[in-house]
Amino acid sequence: MPSLTERLANVTKSKLRTVQEYFSLAGRAIGFIFVRPFYMQDFIQQMDEIGVKSLGIVLLTGFFTGMVLALQSSVQLKTFGATMYIGRLVSASMIRELGPVLAGLMVAGRVGSGIAAQIGSMRVTEQIDALNTLGTDPIKKLVTPRVLAALVMMPILTIINDFVGICGGNLISSLLVGIPSGLYWRTVWEQIASDGFTLHFIPNDFVQGITKPFVFGGVIAISACYFGLNTTGGTEGVGVATTRTVVLASVLILILDYFLTQILLTVLGT
Amino acid sequence: MTDDERDDESASSPAKRDAVKREADRRGDGRRVAERSTTKVRAAIRAELEKDEVAADAETEQVDAPAEPETVIELDHVSLAFESPILEDVSLVACKGETICIVGESGTGKSTALKLILRLLVPDKGRVNILGQDITGLSFEEALKVRQRMGMVFQGAALFDSMSVFENIAYPLREHTELDEDEIEARVREKLQFVDLEPDRVMEQLPSELSGGMRKRVGIARGMADNPEIMLYDEPTSGLDPLTTGTITRLILKLQRELNVTSIVVSHDIRSVFRMATRVAVLHDRRIAFFGTPEDMAASDDTYLRDFLGGN
Repeated sequence: MPSLTERLANVTKSKLRTVQEYFSLAGRAIGFIFVRPFYMQDFIQQMDEIGVKSLGIVLLTGFFTGMVLALQSSVQLKTFGATMYIGRLVSASMIRELGPVLAGLMVAGRVGSGIAAQIGSMRVTEQIDALNTLGTDPIKKLVTPRVLAALVMMPILTIINDFVGICGGNLISSLLVGIPSGLYWRTVWEQIASDGFTLHFIPNDFVQGITKPFVFGGVIAISACYFGLNTTGGTEGVGVATTRTVVLASVLILILDYFLTQILLTVLGT
Repeated sequence: MTDDERDDESASSPAKRDAVKREADRRGDGRRVAERSTTKVRAAIRAELEKDEVAADAETEQVDAPAEPETVIELDHVSLAFESPILEDVSLVACKGETICIVGESGTGKSTALKLILRLLVPDKGRVNILGQDITGLSFEEALKVRQRMGMVFQGAALFDSMSVFENIAYPLREHTELDEDEIEARVREKLQFVDLEPDRVMEQLPSELSGGMRKRVGIARGMADNPEIMLYDEPTSGLDPLTTGTITRLILKLQRELNVTSIVVSHDIRSVFRMATRVAVLHDRRIAFFGTPEDMAASDDTYLRDFLGGN
């Protein structure tokens, strides 16, 4: 029976190996973006799976989040007689934080689990081994198109999510709070412009709002592919891989959100 | 107390001596029954071999064996361990056109041997030579190129379930050849016909719409699509009914006889093994316990081989 120290050392080694394998997979998947052959058809198919098919859930989440933000902030702002600033609050919250994080969590749940289940099933039915024996690198064929598609589609989904959220806020502020739409959209723009611009024309809020989903997209796709490729134990293993993907991706999104905010605020000087 | 000591003590009274005598007779009968069973199995195997020789003569013209057979696959004193040893000092040679069957109990490392040949695993000790090249030190990308010269048929066929039968067979051609779409379709049709499937009927079907035997045949067609020099089969007849098993066995024989492909077959199906093997490797206790012709195996007096063949 190994001693407690030995067991602790083994667990630590195993965890470190996992981290190493995770980053190695990420590095190879990203490196293959620039190496022939390009699996363009797989890339387009994955953009459809990750982006287009996630549109419904992202629209729904964004719209209701914007509505509830407007509703809650109207109650607080009314105390100070500042309900005209609802637009500023909704846009700042949606673009900087809620848009990227909520879209990320939704995509992690819908797409991350799907990718892990698909690749996990391929692993347990020896389809990954078949790819290897047919002279194809499974990382290039399966992981790279998914990572690239997630990197492209997550910022697009987030922009849509932000816009729909701000529209939801507009609906509530005009119907329930009585703020005219013109005023609402003017305060939204004031907020976006108030934080300054990168390269004189990209609002800093947008830089934050686009950088985060770009990173989250990579995290979701790589986590899903990592757990999918390392699936063991048949169909039960596929279930475990799916659960682990959603948990890890969601936790990483929340943790990285803090650190990215910290870095971006420092870099952008806002 | 050992069994012998227990027997000596129990033989001290007449009643007990009678009981011991009856028990000894019973054990003797058991041994005779087991021997009769093994003899029957070996006789059946010999009959199978003779039947196959006749069938082979009828099907194909006799090809003169080359003076010096070309070594295609060689496992040279290979050892591999994960948490515990899997293979120890395993050596095996397959010459051009040979069909080597690897048999043994479950968990003895048969499929691992295939993975070593495919360079999906790297041995801890020893060398694996494929077509005159030592593949143990190859990089991942170099190994992919070697694998293109091999075809593999998996236990569950491992067809890509998101692709149709046509796309599955066309996959290695699209990946590694410059063939245009018409040539690819012609090749896919040719391979489907080779495995006795009607191209027009199955080409657009998904793997989930096929029976187990059809999936295996499509797996063989995909494995041989790029005309490989080596074919590897992992349990090609497992989970199939006797008739389909016969069909798959005949296909492997056909591939060997008509295309002179070197094959390694991992199987539990002794009847099929004796029909298709030019040589048989028996893995036991992580090592090669026997490597020789099926005739030698059937005639062997080795206790383990007799037990293995007799299923004792």
